[in-house]
Amino acid sequence: MKYFIPVLLAMFILLTGFTPVNGPGKRHTISGKVRDKFNGEALIGATVYVNELKTGTATDVYGNYSLTLPSGDYTLFFSFIGFVSEEQKISLLENKTLNIELAPKQETLKEIEVTSERNDRNVTRAEMSTFRMDIKTIEKIPALMGEVDVLKAIQLLPGVQTVSEGTNGFSVRGGAPDQNLILLDDATVYNASHLMGLFSVFNNDAVRDVKLFKGDIPPVYGGRLSSVLDIHMNEGNSKGYEVTGGIGLISSRLTVEGPIKKDKISFIVSGRRTYADLFLGMAKNADLHHNQLYFYDFNAKLNYRIDDNNSLFLSGYFGRDVFKNNFARMNWGNQTSTLRWNHLFTKRLFANFIALYSNYQYFIGTPEGESSSFDWTSNLRDLGMKGDFSYYINTGNTFRFGASVIYHMIYPGKARGTGAETSLNEVSVPENNSVESGIYASNEQKVGSHWILKYGLRLSIFQNIGPGTVYHYNSAYIAQDSSVYRTGIIYNTYAGLEPRLGLLYAINDENSIKASYSRTLQFLQLAQNSTIGTPLDVWFPASPNIKPQNANQFAIGYFRNFRNNKIETSAEGFYKIMNHVVDFKDHADLILNPKLDGELRIGKAWSYGAEFLIRLNEKKLNGWISYTWSRTFRKIAEINNGNPYPAPYDKPHNLAVVANYLISKRFSVSANWVYATGSAVTFPTGRALIGGKIIPIYSDRNAYRFPDYHRLDLSVAFNSKEKPGRRFRWDLDLSVYNVYNRHNTWAINFLQDEQDPDKTYAEKIYLFGIVPSVTFNFHFQ
Amino acid sequence: MKKIALYILLMAFISACTEKVNITLKQNYTRLVVDGSIGNSSSRYQITLTKTADYFYNQPIPRVNNAQVSISDGNAFFQLNETKPGISGIYETDSSFHGVTGKIYTLHITLPEAIGGSSEYIASCKMMDVPKLDSIHVLFHPDYGKDGMWEIKVYAQEPGDEVNYYMFHVYRNDTLLTDSISKVVVTDDKYFNGNYINGLGAVYINNSHYWETLHEGDLITLQMSGITKEYYDFITQVQEAGFNIPFFVGPPANVVGNISSGGIGFFAAYSSSFSSIRIKQ
Repeated sequence: MKYFIPVLLAMFILLTGFTPVNGPGKRHTISGKVRDKFNGEALIGATVYVNELKTGTATDVYGNYSLTLPSGDYTLFFSFIGFVSEEQKISLLENKTLNIELAPKQETLKEIEVTSERNDRNVTRAEMSTFRMDIKTIEKIPALMGEVDVLKAIQLLPGVQTVSEGTNGFSVRGGAPDQNLILLDDATVYNASHLMGLFSVFNNDAVRDVKLFKGDIPPVYGGRLSSVLDIHMNEGNSKGYEVTGGIGLISSRLTVEGPIKKDKISFIVSGRRTYADLFLGMAKNADLHHNQLYFYDFNAKLNYRIDDNNSLFLSGYFGRDVFKNNFARMNWGNQTSTLRWNHLFTKRLFANFIALYSNYQYFIGTPEGESSSFDWTSNLRDLGMKGDFSYYINTGNTFRFGASVIYHMIYPGKARGTGAETSLNEVSVPENNSVESGIYASNEQKVGSHWILKYGLRLSIFQNIGPGTVYHYNSAYIAQDSSVYRTGIIYNTYAGLEPRLGLLYAINDENSIKASYSRTLQFLQLAQNSTIGTPLDVWFPASPNIKPQNANQFAIGYFRNFRNNKIETSAEGFYKIMNHVVDFKDHADLILNPKLDGELRIGKAWSYGAEFLIRLNEKKLNGWISYTWSRTFRKIAEINNGNPYPAPYDKPHNLAVVANYLISKRFSVSANWVYATGSAVTFPTGRALIGGKIIPIYSDRNAYRFPDYHRLDLSVAFNSKEKPGRRFRWDLDLSVYNVYNRHNTWAINFLQDEQDPDKTYAEKIYLFGIVPSVTFNFHFQ
Repeated sequence: MKKIALYILLMAFISACTEKVNITLKQNYTRLVVDGSIGNSSSRYQITLTKTADYFYNQPIPRVNNAQVSISDGNAFFQLNETKPGISGIYETDSSFHGVTGKIYTLHITLPEAIGGSSEYIASCKMMDVPKLDSIHVLFHPDYGKDGMWEIKVYAQEPGDEVNYYMFHVYRNDTLLTDSISKVVVTDDKYFNGNYINGLGAVYINNSHYWETLHEGDLITLQMSGITKEYYDFITQVQEAGFNIPFFVGPPANVVGNISSGGIGFFAAYSSSFSSIRIKQ
């Protein structure tokens, strides 16, 4: 911590010392926002290119750009995938604001026709190990039961492994699923799953774009080891009203957006509700027929452009899963709220001030009136503030700095008997509170025409705040005694520096080499022992007994574009070592256990691999092929006799092919094929007879593998006829999941034959055969 | 409550398909398996000695014969004899044998030839106390599950002094319904410690299963036993063993028993109380 300020200062000196702030002639700043002409939404990552100087920049996540150039006349090109490029001639004699609105290309050809615009960010941007996807790309991927899903789409990217079929859990470069920071408009989403992960909490009509950082994580982000998934919600059309909706086999969606005051205030409201309970009526197991199971969610965002220098955004998400039958009811879900004030101090200094709230909770209860009636609740709440500043010093330097504070209130669970006849006590795990704060600074610096350096530093501080009880464990993990701390006392503090470094060497316009190093810290983790997890899993903080996890990651990559940037390719290699990773003892008890830390076993993990990506953006055909070879191991003294073992998501080979082909203006087909080595699992190698039951005696941890996983999905989309001035559009999507009906292994159980008790057999559970679905989408404006 | 919660989840999400698969498994070395218990009433208590086999062995489990088996309570030794010497692998006490609550019992086994590198095995277990069952009550819930379920409700005072663990067996007209370890019900007193148990459901019997369903006139007997934490954990682990739904249980792990020298299984000692009721219309 004591080094932070000197390091910051050194960075300033480095930055001001190396860059010609006062070059020949006076310098002025041109800045502004790039928006979608059609609905007024900010465009993220739009390119601003200065033709005369062969330099440029890109808009930030809020659509802002800033360029500081010597006085003179310039031609600026504003471009963005799927939008018609704009050319602006300017005479820069003083600081200027230039807001640009780009028109989307004709709807059916969106993002397919990438002609003359500069689309070389793959090669020229200094960031690596990141992947941005807009929702239009995601919507083209064939989806399970027609439910377009952001979290399923990112599992098709190199370096991202699916933890288990049908779930949202993903592993990034060997990290555990709880090492991914999932942000929805800057608020953390703690459980991104609906229906145990069959669907994600993100409604595609409400999402604008998704960016995944697998490494090279910018210092603005902290708190997770392995990745950041930054999701932004649509801002709402500020020009005119629009209604978008969809009717699918298992859910329906409706979105309304429009201006409250044209070009000033806009809103968007999205809702979604499933009717999957209908399927339970068809289930083979008659026990399920009385069950009700559904989810719903709402997204809303209000967008107020106060003036050129100030904008306010208020956004929120609320979702619930509900399960009910004669015997019990249960619900769980997330809620997030974000208030963001975007302020331009000067033409070159932008800031975002954010207040956020996030809540995950669950409830289980049985009907009252029985002696066994109970209810059980748990929740986790975050209250946070962030301030993030971007200072465009000159075309060669972009300085970003800021700070954040998040107050975590975790209420792991309280169960109690209900009603007068109850025989049940209250059992609860006490609430724990903590503060996670961070300050960071980073600079991206162009050195000559070939090099870009990125250097940043984050200081993360984590503090446990009373009331709290800390148990002291002996070497056998049995609690001997405890320390009790009063309300409001900070009884434990961890602080750590997280350097983040990046380097780009541009060989020429089409070839570049990039390298990065990042160190990340993690203070909150999920008590999830199984590969999938349940809604009952709770997050728990670092504490005197639980050291923060840390990771060091090194990556190097070669990036090359072909055919005028229509084909992007990349190859990256990485090595990542993670310390203080959390695993659990055998037969761990993680539910409603106040001595949860006694169930933990701490060790290290490491992963390495190579990732290859070819992305194609031709007129008719687009998509990508991703191949990853990687290994992930863990070594924990008390597990597997202290020997290293493969992580459950260690899948050495992983291939995804995603393609979309436009047959005509009204008709397109999409396909994806995925292949992955089977998950590492533990199988029995022996049997013993106990109490009439044959029980398995197991192999070493994860010594076996499931059969390899592969699957083909197809979809076709028909669009309504395109006519100028037509206000109603529709499309019909037919999709087939698992076309060749492969029964991919989800689990293998080892069971005893009921007729012949001496016989045992292995039984595979698979979730899906071939699943066809149809979705009708409409759009009215 | 935890189990109920997991059961709710199970009902909510398992509607997947299953099929038998062929899997090739490596061989494992052989270990001794000990399975048996003693109680606090006079009876011939049995200890069964077997050997582990390859997982897909698919023949009657190999028995361990001609072993010397005895139980000590710290003072006296009680000899156990093989019921069919050289054949059965079942060793039993005299019919007068009974344990005493609070004593620690140790099982001593000497094998004629070593298994898994050892021919001497011991296992110890404390005989725990059990509250007196005041009464039981049987209630039919037509709306639980497909064909309804019988709930056996317990009325008893639970001692509040310590963490207790219980095991329940059910007899229908003197036939043991909970005839395998998979059917036995175990619980801790986390959620009702020190309370008067005012009709908590201890055992649920599925009316869909003809071999265990109840009828008017049946005499139902509930056996409640006080067990050690180790035995409670062991039964729970045995019941979960082999069942590997990815979202309920952690990675598979061997069950932890109380047999020394790498032996598998459990030697249990527990005291029991009983209560009966005849089912009326």
